[in-house]
Amino acid sequence: MAGKSSVAAIYFAILGIVTTAFGIADILVTAGTSEFAYGILEIPGDIFRGGWGGVIVLFAGLFYLSGIRNFDDIHQFSKIVMGSILIWIMAGCDIFAMITESIPGGEDGPWFNTLGGFIGTYAPPYAPAVLLLPFSLVVVYYIRKRNQEI
Amino acid sequence: MKLTIDQRWDLIDKIAKQTITFGEYRHTLKDTIGELTIKPFTGLPIAIAVMYAFWSVFGSFAGFFTDGFFVRLFDAYWLPWLQEVFPGQGGWLYAIMVDAGGIEGGEFVLSDNCLESFGVLTSGLFVAIGVVLPAIVIFYLMLALLEDIGYMPRLAVLIDTMLHKIGLHGYAIVPTILSLGCNVPGVTATRILETKKQRFIMMTLLAIFIPCGAQIGIMQDVIPGLMGWILLYLIIGYFIFGYILNKIVPGKAPEFLIDVPPYRRPMLSNIGKKVWGRITGFFKVAIPFVLLGAAIVGVLYQLGVIRFLGDALAPVFVGWFGVPKETAGPLIAAFLRKDLAVAQLSVIEMTEYQMITAVVLVSIYFPCVATFAMMLKEGWKELLGAMAVLVVVVFAYGGLIHLIGILLGVA
Repeated sequence: MAGKSSVAAIYFAILGIVTTAFGIADILVTAGTSEFAYGILEIPGDIFRGGWGGVIVLFAGLFYLSGIRNFDDIHQFSKIVMGSILIWIMAGCDIFAMITESIPGGEDGPWFNTLGGFIGTYAPPYAPAVLLLPFSLVVVYYIRKRNQEI
Repeated sequence: MKLTIDQRWDLIDKIAKQTITFGEYRHTLKDTIGELTIKPFTGLPIAIAVMYAFWSVFGSFAGFFTDGFFVRLFDAYWLPWLQEVFPGQGGWLYAIMVDAGGIEGGEFVLSDNCLESFGVLTSGLFVAIGVVLPAIVIFYLMLALLEDIGYMPRLAVLIDTMLHKIGLHGYAIVPTILSLGCNVPGVTATRILETKKQRFIMMTLLAIFIPCGAQIGIMQDVIPGLMGWILLYLIIGYFIFGYILNKIVPGKAPEFLIDVPPYRRPMLSNIGKKVWGRITGFFKVAIPFVLLGAAIVGVLYQLGVIRFLGDALAPVFVGWFGVPKETAGPLIAAFLRKDLAVAQLSVIEMTEYQMITAVVLVSIYFPCVATFAMMLKEGWKELLGAMAVLVVVVFAYGGLIHLIGILLGVA
């Protein structure tokens, strides 16, 4: 059990560091008022998604990092869960925005988007929170495991 | 049957044994997350995230319906059809109901979109259905979700200390957030505050600094890039003038006690009922006022009243507030409908800073007629007091924003 907890603690420590770095990068890119794109990663440069959103990603990373010590304690574990919830909020908003953009046909196009245009909306690059989303879902495994133990 | 005291105690013991479980309580994940959302150090980041989600979903949902479908429906089909079939093109009834148009090279020219036509059946309907309806639906849906999950009392506790600085307490978040949907239920909700002083401060701040859903919806549609700055100016003003009012208005500002419920899974039927009730309530008040407002604004334009007032007040608008003199008309019309006024402002040529100033002025200028009527219902003394504060705020804060622009070199 202790061994498994330490694996989880190491996993969320790494995730916490990466998330914090993404949050800081979001804020720095916004301060520079330009977008940054590299491979499948895109950091938005606007004050809402980059600035406000960056602060939330940064807090998510800090929640992960503050929860890794004494991981088995429910109060500490809830901080890890909260870090993941913040990532889900950010990623959920980005994905919802993608869905709402993908359906209408655009100003001069048809009423509804073409199939190619629809699928194309979901193509990379993605914002940091969307990239972090699958890694943050690992917390669901630990929540279920904890529930089974009770 | 009458029980003796001993029999009553026996009965109590029996009920207690059947209903109460004794033992060591173990915190669940739900409990600890509930605690995290209420402590300032961890609760504030979560509140920031919740507010982000609120506005992000609001913008995406409203944009989906307004920009995705309604703009095209109204501009490409409804407006040209009405322009063609409505009789008396160029006449006063045509201008009020369909399209005020413009004069180019001495000839009457029709508008090509519903934001510029200013007709009751074009701009009025577009604002009410195309812009306000999606904005209000998603606003009340998100609000109902937050209420039913159990997050609102936590937000009230979190913001309590900050609101005490302006003479209010955590419960004041309820009328404030309700006002972001519509100022009318917001003013009614000020009754949950205990003292006259608190109710006066809250009502005045709502009327001046809280833009309603209709205004936010149209801002999101026509000036999305400037919305953040406009809201920032309004939030700063809310706290500055709240602080001043707290110092000068006599009376008490007591503490509050609140029962924070555990987080719960929201029930779809409850959410549906709440949202439906609020939307129908809003539309019973808003639709007639939007259409009536559009008609009265149209009549006043046709009679030249707004042009006359605009010319008369132009030195104040240009000199004191630093906005173009063309904004005088929409600012006067804002008394009837703030959303229509923002739409009118959006087609006037001006710098970004002037646009921010003009829209902030629309917000802090007189509350719309519906809110005005509701404030009168709460008491004419309170209304007069709020209006006096409002006049001072418009000139002081409007001038201050202009001064900030001059100092930053953007005005």
